[in-house]
Amino acid sequence: MDKTLFYEQMAQILDAEEVKPENVLKDFETWDSLAVLSVMAMADSKFGVAIKADEMRSAVTAADLEKLVEGKLK
Amino acid sequence: MKHIFKHKRISAIVSVVPREEYRFDDEYPLFKLTDDKARRFKKMIGLDRHRIAPPEVCSSDLCLYGLQQLLKEGTLKREDIGALLFVSQTPDYFAPPTSNVLHGKLGLGPDVVCLDINQGCAGFAVGLMQAFLLLEITALPKVVLLNGDTGSKQVDRCNRISYPLTGDAGSVTIVERCEAENPIYMDVKNDGSRHKAILIPGGAYRTPASPETLVIREVEEGMRQNLHHVSMDGAAIFNFTMEDVPRQVQEVLAFSGDSLDSIEYFLFHQPNAFILQQMAAKMKIPPAKMPNNIVTLYGNSSSTTIPLVISHNYPAEFLRAQHRVCVSGFGVGLAWLTMVMTLGPLTTCRLVEYEPV
Repeated sequence: MDKTLFYEQMAQILDAEEVKPENVLKDFETWDSLAVLSVMAMADSKFGVAIKADEMRSAVTAADLEKLVEGKLK
Repeated sequence: MKHIFKHKRISAIVSVVPREEYRFDDEYPLFKLTDDKARRFKKMIGLDRHRIAPPEVCSSDLCLYGLQQLLKEGTLKREDIGALLFVSQTPDYFAPPTSNVLHGKLGLGPDVVCLDINQGCAGFAVGLMQAFLLLEITALPKVVLLNGDTGSKQVDRCNRISYPLTGDAGSVTIVERCEAENPIYMDVKNDGSRHKAILIPGGAYRTPASPETLVIREVEEGMRQNLHHVSMDGAAIFNFTMEDVPRQVQEVLAFSGDSLDSIEYFLFHQPNAFILQQMAAKMKIPPAKMPNNIVTLYGNSSSTTIPLVISHNYPAEFLRAQHRVCVSGFGVGLAWLTMVMTLGPLTTCRLVEYEPV
């Protein structure tokens, strides 16, 4: 999995200069229901995987989302 | 479930929107959005302006206005009306059916089928299916398919997600038999296990109207709603539009022997610009073939968005000639229905503004 691409995409979605794995999603003011949809769309279009809303609810950090996407790639 | 309808066609489409237009840039202070969030939201969802009917105007009024235009100009004769099919989630009353109310207002004779269908975003396609089926009654001349939704009455004006997205509109589609075979390829699917993905929980008989159902709650920051308002599970709907609907579209294209090249226009329901862009990308549909401007210009008006797509974007094209099209409606139910057909030339294809009579 192209991790650089993943974090670049996350930065774009969250309107942030940079997103690091340890960053807590809720700390971003832009982490809202639209951002959730954007992550689902990004996972689908850039990595070809479908994530469900339920699976995203337990994600706390950006790394949790990365693991979610990576888990689907296997 | 797949089926081929034959010897049927759409002959005219009139869409009707309220004159009252509201702009997102003027309204967003209502939603307590910061400038940054508003800008992000506007760009992603494709918001700019929407049409909202005044409180006294019902969906049936918008439909009736369009229908009277067709009668006045002579495109449709009263004696040719064999059925009034009213598809809506904003009827005039719980009872009687709104199609009967319209039948009375038009002063039609007794040999007319009146039928209401409770359907939302798939409602244009579901209505077409029912119209084609009604035409099996050989004594029935033409079906008047009326799609009307005043969804603005099912959202709180301060709800920052639902309200700016919503638009009100009505449409009239004339469906009739034709000599040419004109095969129309359809697939219809439903999944009631996901019926809560889009739900108006209160006000009917499962949870009757009461002081409690009217209490406005803030379910998420900026998302105010009571039990009479539409509640949506955005993520579940996103999964639906990215998996079930594209799969069905591919299936129907294979069923009709078409391809992305042979279809000239993909006339899809318009939930919002973001979802449509994602759907087009997923199915590799060139954006030029799939109009995606109705939410931006009028708002999402549920079952009338496909008539709006046609009458706003391609009135001249469909008046002049026939075109190979793929029509897809998907939403509340969940229900999804896709058709491939040759559409046109139409005798009428236009979008008008409602004027109170």
